Amino acid sequence: MYFRTQGPLRWLIAAAVFPLLIGCRSDDAHEEPPKSFEGFSAPAHFPAPVYGFENNPVTEAGFELGKKLFYDKRLSADGTVSCGTCHAQVHGFADHNIPLSFGIEERRGMRNTPGLANLAWTPAFMWDGGINHIEVIPIAPLTDSTEMGHDLAALISFLQTQTEYPKDFETAFGSSEIDTRNLLLALTQFQSCLISAGSKYDQWLTGRTNLTPAENEGREIFESKCASCHSGVLLTDFSYRNNGLDSIFTDEGRMRITLNPEDAGTFRVPSLRNVALTSPYMHDGRFRNLMQVLDHYDSGVKQSATLDPSLSGGIPLEDHEKERLIDFLRTLSDYDFISNHRFSEP
Amino acid sequence: MKFSKIALSGLLIIAAITFQNCSSDDDNNNNNTPSPAMKGDMEIKFDHRWGPSQAPFALDNTHTHPATGEEITFTTLRYYISNVRLHKSDGSTHAEEESYHIVDASATFPKVHVKDIPAGDYTGVSFLIGVDSLRNVSGAQTGALDPAENMFWSWSTGYIFIKAEGSSPAAMNETFTYHLGGFSGENSALREVYSSFGDADMRIAPDALPSAHFMVNAARFWHGGISLGEMSMVHMPGANASLLATNFSGGFILDHIHN
Ligand code: HEC
Ligand code: HEC
Repeated sequence: MYFRTQGPLRWLIAAAVFPLLIGCRSDDAHEEPPKSFEGFSAPAHFPAPVYGFENNPVTEAGFELGKKLFYDKRLSADGTVSCGTCHAQVHGFADHNIPLSFGIEERRGMRNTPGLANLAWTPAFMWDGGINHIEVIPIAPLTDSTEMGHDLAALISFLQTQTEYPKDFETAFGSSEIDTRNLLLALTQFQSCLISAGSKYDQWLTGRTNLTPAENEGREIFESKCASCHSGVLLTDFSYRNNGLDSIFTDEGRMRITLNPEDAGTFRVPSLRNVALTSPYMHDGRFRNLMQVLDHYDSGVKQSATLDPSLSGGIPLEDHEKERLIDFLRTLSDYDFISNHRFSEP
Repeated sequence: MKFSKIALSGLLIIAAITFQNCSSDDDNNNNNTPSPAMKGDMEIKFDHRWGPSQAPFALDNTHTHPATGEEITFTTLRYYISNVRLHKSDGSTHAEEESYHIVDASATFPKVHVKDIPAGDYTGVSFLIGVDSLRNVSGAQTGALDPAENMFWSWSTGYIFIKAEGSSPAAMNETFTYHLGGFSGENSALREVYSSFGDADMRIAPDALPSAHFMVNAARFWHGGISLGEMSMVHMPGANASLLATNFSGGFILDHIHN
């Protein structure tokens, strides 16, 4: 899909350079006139996606249905919370600058809501990597008592009794009989299309723009001091590491999933895409701004048995280096992504 | 008791053969193995019992554990039976397609219905208690694997293979919750049960519905004298889940078959 946008941001669409069409290919060998909706298409400067789409090719009807579901508060037990409540487009689909999100009845979860982007490239989800497949992600927020608190069977029968949903499912999947699988597939069509590849950094990567000297200096510092973990075009290597936030872990992170003591206090290295828009930071949202994050790496790293060896002496940073790093991190903001009406609340 | 059962099943087999003989006495090929091009069904029945004496078991009834003497009341006993295979004397097997079933002890006659088996004589049956690792990592599933069955962990993806819940004065907070699963690594809770049918083959044929009758000893969770005081909450993969799954799977005994 090509991202469309209005006003001064229009030039940013150039980011979706030579998209490589993955889903929704026509079987017909003859060229067909271009359609307005082209399914899932991977940006040319991205690696191959992890999610295969074989069993769930993205269609316009499926994507639109997924979007409608994503923004529908009636999917929560008391009708007050939608996916979009915690995952706000203006914040790169993170929450509105709060450390811990509120679910139904103002209940709070235990972790900070991450931004959503490039999920089709993500091998395992959540801060601890506990969810192993993109299609089953929505089950957690839909049923968690601190998020949307619903029972899946009750939710399916609710959707079935609505006037519009059976029709929408019919159009998208050929059956007006709603089941968990099609609910998950629709939400996955929407969330897998949340592709952020239009930042200034992407344009620099694809040779379409220059970074300012300050940004470029920040990029060089980033590449030498941060990119060992926040690596590549996705800005993460998806490994689990302890970056020295604590020496005693109130949240065991990856160990919660593996039960392996060597994983205590490790978390999935987060992508830094749109990072300037997704404050506060870390799995519990403890740092209010990027300067606090850099102060942490510079002088706040705490020792523990599972601390990543590369951080045992912290990452010493001069004040001006911190400023340059922040200049660079801002180039990761994708203004097309956060204003593109394709992803906005209908 | 055992003797009478064997005798009874022997009688039934004789009766079945006799019945077949009279019902189709105009068919010359009757005594030969039916052609595998024909298909038939079979059932695996699960008769939940209590202890090695195979005492009656029921949800919401209080049972005393034969080894620990603890009083235990189940409110839930559900588990996956998957990857059902029927074995032949030549070592070949027939694997049921899309073979995923939930057995629920609250059903009047808990059983698994296996369809479309090539007709013929089979010497044994095997199945997994749990869900094979592939389906634990393959995204949205339907049928028995629908997450709406509440046999699925949402925060650490994977199926709950065995769900046993209830109460006991010996347990912490007087309740016990066993959600057993884990599909990979040393703590995998996936268990295979294989049972030979013994002397009598099971004959699969169109219009017949043979069955394999398993006794399932629900007291086996605490095999070896595990006390509910030590283990009342197991709700994620790990060594305890693996141990309880081993114990429970040891409680599946083929009692007899009906042809
Ligand atoms: C109450 C707030 C809340 C709601 C509502 C909510 N989420 Fe989330 N979401 C979170 C939090 C918090 C996390 C991180 C949880 C963790 O790592 O343990 C998260 C994580 C995710 C992730 C993983 C991102 C990654 O990179 O690993 C996805 C995808 C996601 N949510 C999609 C959804 C969808 C789809 C819905 C609606 C069905 C939804 N969320 C509803 C708070 C929420
Ligand atoms: C050893 C690997 C490693 C290195 C090197 C590293 N990070 Fe991180 N980073 C992590 C991990 C792991 C987290 C998540 C920790 C958590 O929340 O518990 C993280 C989190 C962050 C976050 C918070 C993101 C969010 O969405 O909350 C920012 C910002 C960040 N790092 C920036 C940097 C910068 C800038 C550098 C270089 C100065 C750097 N990191 C170096 C592993 C690393």
